Amino acid sequence: MSDRRLTKSLRTAFGVRRSPLRRGAGYVDENLGGGSRLLRDELRHIFPDSWAFFLGEIALYCFILLVVTGVFLALFFRASQAEVVYQGSYQPLVGVPMSDAYSSVLDLSLDVRAGLLVRQVHHWAALVFVGALMIHLLRMFFTGAYRRPRRLNWLFGFTLLFVVGFNGLMGYSLPDDLLSGTGLRVAYSITESIPFVGPTMASLLFGGEFPTTGIIARIYPVHVFLLPAAIAGLLGLHLGMLWLQRHTQFPGPGRDDRTVVGSPMVPAYALRTTGYLLLVAGVLTAFGALLQINPVWLYGPYTAWDSTTAAQPDWYMGWLEGAVRLFPGWDIQLGSFVLPAVFWPAVVLPGLIFTPLLLWPWLDGMALRDHGFHNVLTFPSERPWRAALGAGFVTLLSVLLVAGGDDVFASAFGLSLPVLIRTLQVLVFVAPPLVALFSYLVARRRSQRWLATGR
Amino acid sequence: MEVADGNAVTDRELGTSGGPPVPDGGRRPPVRSGGTPPGWPAAVGLLATVVGSVGFVLAFVTSASNAWLGGSLAAALLGLGMALAYWGRDLAGDEVISGPYPAPHDDPPRAAALGGDLEQSVGVITRRGALAKFLVFAVGVFALSQVVILGALGPWPGRSLFVTAWRPGRRLVTIDGEPVTRDVLAGGGSLVAFPEGHTDAANSQIALFHFSGGELKLQPGRETWSPEGFVAYSRICTHVGCAVSQYLDEAKVLACPCHQSTFDLLDGAKPVAGPAGRPLPQLPLAIDKDGYLVAQRDFTEPVGPGFWDAG
Repeated sequence: MSDRRLTKSLRTAFGVRRSPLRRGAGYVDENLGGGSRLLRDELRHIFPDSWAFFLGEIALYCFILLVVTGVFLALFFRASQAEVVYQGSYQPLVGVPMSDAYSSVLDLSLDVRAGLLVRQVHHWAALVFVGALMIHLLRMFFTGAYRRPRRLNWLFGFTLLFVVGFNGLMGYSLPDDLLSGTGLRVAYSITESIPFVGPTMASLLFGGEFPTTGIIARIYPVHVFLLPAAIAGLLGLHLGMLWLQRHTQFPGPGRDDRTVVGSPMVPAYALRTTGYLLLVAGVLTAFGALLQINPVWLYGPYTAWDSTTAAQPDWYMGWLEGAVRLFPGWDIQLGSFVLPAVFWPAVVLPGLIFTPLLLWPWLDGMALRDHGFHNVLTFPSERPWRAALGAGFVTLLSVLLVAGGDDVFASAFGLSLPVLIRTLQVLVFVAPPLVALFSYLVARRRSQRWLATGR
Repeated sequence: MEVADGNAVTDRELGTSGGPPVPDGGRRPPVRSGGTPPGWPAAVGLLATVVGSVGFVLAFVTSASNAWLGGSLAAALLGLGMALAYWGRDLAGDEVISGPYPAPHDDPPRAAALGGDLEQSVGVITRRGALAKFLVFAVGVFALSQVVILGALGPWPGRSLFVTAWRPGRRLVTIDGEPVTRDVLAGGGSLVAFPEGHTDAANSQIALFHFSGGELKLQPGRETWSPEGFVAYSRICTHVGCAVSQYLDEAKVLACPCHQSTFDLLDGAKPVAGPAGRPLPQLPLAIDKDGYLVAQRDFTEPVGPGFWDAG
């Protein structure tokens, strides 16, 4: 009976009619210590269906792609700042002294076949990874998917976003081009700004006063081993809990907090999600083929006496960059001590933003006095306050993101930079509450209409 | 305990074979109505996979451009992905099943049993109360002791943030090591300079200007720092440390390209725009008897961004 169902599922999946699968099932059963009951049940694992559930999958598949492309890049990258004189095929830099790291990135981009493609796919995958995680989190937020029993998994997911963003920053720093070195300089200065421990922390992390010659070699194992292992571990926890708890589901016929409705993993879901994996890989490969990203050969090697205009971090760090640009130069002198202005936008602000978000499921539960189990999602308009908070938060980050490129926007639209900065400084405080209020009114109206008319 | 517990997947078979009662169990009607959808979209996708794969190999062996190489690979991946997604989507419509969520909340005995078991197990340890506390203490001491390892990561900052390579009488040189004389900058503009013998000292870089028309506003206590109108400022931004590399001759300001901090060169390099909070430190200059520009001494304040004990 049990075997029959297992083979039926597998048969449907692979279109195989006879014994190999049956033998395979027997083999698995034998080696799992009679675990085919488990296997059978899990093959029929129920996956509720909604396009919104695809967002987290995009993130997962970006990670897979990052590992694959990253291994290729690691074969050619040299994590050394020993000075070499460039002799590769990019004429404008021939004869220029540079670090071995930068030279190896030029080589793998311009002289290794398919190297540029792999590097660009890697970079695009990182950008999309963080984006997918953010949108996935927003979806969780607006539909209330983080409520009991999934509070802990929100925590894991959020930590994941943090680790992934940080690892992106590390990857951006490795090529040792002008922009990556500038990013490290800023990171060093921000670390230095922390009261009491800042200078010591910066010196320990960077191995001395910036610029140090060992920092690339130090970042490299963090970027390719430590943080990827952490990401894999967090993903494992996140997905393991998801597996045990099942997906949430949108309201629908037959669906409630006790009953999950969806398609079985084998064959339908497995086929579909493998297809999605390949689609994500295909789209990112197309990006890598057609859309230039981080052309490091144009920036030149990092030196401490060069800097360039229109220097931006990767987009997901843009809000932080914007906060650093907008915050006024209020260095505070406390007796013989200094509290640098950058401490507030670069250290305190992220803490203020991340801490409540991390604790959001508990805060939300306390505020609404709702500690019940929820497997059915709510629509944003059903919880106007939540929608308003979320919309205001997204607005805040968007204003900061724009500020992160203020010089580019100013020159692109012919605006005066000081006027633009002042405008954005005002908008940071004015726009989020306005958008929140607007969202609240819209959501409340929609839910009232829904209550009245059922539509 | 099997993981499968609480995972009683129901489909039509289980529903009719007298399995446990499942709320709202059983098979749902297909989402999609009508006959089997056509197979050709999947076939087109698979065709793209074959063509794309062949194209990829051709592009690779002929060292074709990135667009061809990646384009063909993307076509192969997208084709296969579309075929599988389309196929899976079709199957998903065919078979909709339902089952219970794992529901520990309405199973208090199970939770209580788990808690009781745990309590009993842990109780074996905590029965030796003093020893258990000592264990926690010892582990804590051990963990704290390992913090010292962090000290291996780098030098303590010490005085390094307060000093640069400038010394009394040390000559200014260009990045190529050429000494800077009073004849330089006759035509205006600016010059990047380093202490002689230390052109790799990033924290010592200065920007040198020559304002001979007396327009320079001398700062109190620094009246002798700018001989013949030569004035030098640290070139490390006091905001977050980028090289302040943009000299705007008309406005006589120095701007940082990273975050647009702008410093007024005629007025002690005080910040006049952007997020920087402190002026760029000024290097006391002198001109020696041979006409070379030299430093009177090191900077009198730390260069670069602020830090806790910089005051």
